[in-house]
Amino acid sequence: MQLLLQVLASGVLLGGLYALMALGLALVWGVLNIVNLSHGALIMLGAYATYFMFTGAHIDPFAALPVTAIVLFVIGYAIQRGILNLVIRGPMFNTLLITFGIEVVLTYLAQLWFSADFRAINPTYAGANFAVGGITIPLVQVISFAIAIALTVAMWLFLLHTRIGRGIRASAQNLVAARLYGVDPKRIYAVTFGLGAALAGVAGGLYGTVSQINPYIGGPLTAKSFAIAIIGGLDNPLGVIVGGLCLGIVESLTALYIGPTYRDVASFGILVLVLIVRPSGLLGRTT
Amino acid sequence: MSRFAFLVATFCFAAATYAQTITFGASVQLTGPVANTGRYYKDAYDFAIDKINAAGGVKVGGAQSKLALKLLDNQSDVNLSVRQYSQLLSQDKVNFLLGPFASNFVLADSSIAEKASVPMVQGGGASDEIYTRGYKFIFGTLPPASDYFGSTIDAMKKLNPPPSSVALLYADDSFDVSVAKGTSALLQKAGIKVALDQRYSSNASDFSVVLVAGHETEVLNFIRQAKGLGVSPKLYSFTVGVPSADFRQALGKDANGASGMTAWLPSASLKDTWFGDAEAFARDWKARFGYDPDYHAAAGVAAVEAFVKAIESAGSTDPAKVRAALAKVSFDSLYGHIAFNDKGQISLPQIMIQIQNDKVVPIFAGTDFINKLEYPLPAWGKR
Repeated sequence: MQLLLQVLASGVLLGGLYALMALGLALVWGVLNIVNLSHGALIMLGAYATYFMFTGAHIDPFAALPVTAIVLFVIGYAIQRGILNLVIRGPMFNTLLITFGIEVVLTYLAQLWFSADFRAINPTYAGANFAVGGITIPLVQVISFAIAIALTVAMWLFLLHTRIGRGIRASAQNLVAARLYGVDPKRIYAVTFGLGAALAGVAGGLYGTVSQINPYIGGPLTAKSFAIAIIGGLDNPLGVIVGGLCLGIVESLTALYIGPTYRDVASFGILVLVLIVRPSGLLGRTT
Repeated sequence: MSRFAFLVATFCFAAATYAQTITFGASVQLTGPVANTGRYYKDAYDFAIDKINAAGGVKVGGAQSKLALKLLDNQSDVNLSVRQYSQLLSQDKVNFLLGPFASNFVLADSSIAEKASVPMVQGGGASDEIYTRGYKFIFGTLPPASDYFGSTIDAMKKLNPPPSSVALLYADDSFDVSVAKGTSALLQKAGIKVALDQRYSSNASDFSVVLVAGHETEVLNFIRQAKGLGVSPKLYSFTVGVPSADFRQALGKDANGASGMTAWLPSASLKDTWFGDAEAFARDWKARFGYDPDYHAAAGVAAVEAFVKAIESAGSTDPAKVRAALAKVSFDSLYGHIAFNDKGQISLPQIMIQIQNDKVVPIFAGTDFINKLEYPLPAWGKR
């Protein structure tokens, strides 16, 4: 029983981080109708940015996260304004191709600049943990979970209550009507993509504290974010929390009871199940 | 007439001393997820070939031939690697093949070499599976995977207090499964209780010894998660990472206490024809490439040296003759004594090592402790 609780706790903490990873992807997908295949590469860049600030300037990784967010926001804004804007009115296939191309370029640039060596963000308090009712909870994972949930809720409130947030939702629902109300689509799209990139960057920085960083972590993380976004549903930003927790718990339980080899089978199995039973996602509208 | 005779004579003379270039072909992981280890092999092949060429090259049939290398990047993709070896043989028409990194790559690529009857000497795959297929043209400078934990288990038998139980964790691929099979047999022979499952079926913190056969990612995560969850085995040993500089750098202080094994240490007692000795080799390597070599690098250099000795002994570059010479080769090098058994694999003992104070310290080899093993390891909070 103890072991089950421990594994569930790990699954929940992991799920929170997954949710944050998927949030950026879901936002961009829901608003711009762009499936950003370079999402994982942006996570990877965020991880490296945090890593270099930690090892180079000795900034605490959690304190470096806002800077990472700003850096990635700028990168995301530039990518959208400069490259993606060119194909945004075209068939979706074109955006898939371009974002795939961006992913390849970013990955190999990272290999060139940073080499394929493994890095890990290892602050002195990395091993700290505390016990709750017999379960051991690592401190770093709790902080990551808390930041992930906080950012997700903050994003939800941002979309609901701020002017830009309403502008973003308006563009997603009806672009023509939004333009009549004075929304500048180019700027809104770029801001949205920038926000998605910033969230990916923060997720990357947190990921670096719990796992390791190399130029190739992007691909599998894009796939995972994709699955979570679909499981949770694109209509409601809180859907990624549901999707992330679902995936985190399922993966941990599978690793315990069936075997670690089957983790991915379980994750993507859930994805297929959701697509069959409830295609708009667990929190999506059923119309 | 005499001018013509002179021309013919000159031509014959030139032909007699014409030295061919012997080209090695290799497909190595320069990019992709395992590139951080793949680059050891590119650097090793380059370094060895440059050093041998500087010393005059290879003596074949009365003439000195230079060595050349045609290296392709397989992007850590096994299928691309197989296609590249085919290309190296059919299009680039290389003379001999050097291997990639990783047993699963060698398993696939060696079939190409065997089918074409071209010798391949590889320093990247240790899995016993490579040598179970009856291939005649494949030789390896990494000792068998099944014996990786041999010296560690011998050391464990002499520990006080003796380990009560051992957890053996392994990833699901050729090399790691080979290690697990061999290790569980060795543990049984040593009379040490084993819990073989990858999953913990009871109290997770109760294992006194953990042996892990896996990839660098898993080993890195194991250490960090063990620290994060407060799991403190008295001894833990890994098949990868510990001898490699970038692994230790990634973990910093958390790497201390981790045990591993290596078939090679840069000791001055390992003399070499071209590099002087292993210690000088390590120094020159660091000066040229900027990082410390480990056994992957030495195994790669050993592969090139084995080829050169075999070519000189065969006196020709005919693949079948060189293959026969490789089977009989026996010489000392910076990597140790190089000789292949009848299956084509080298036999070298593993030295148990431990990271102490950020340095790799040899602990146990053969029957004795070389240095003191830090055992039992203190709990994470008390380091």
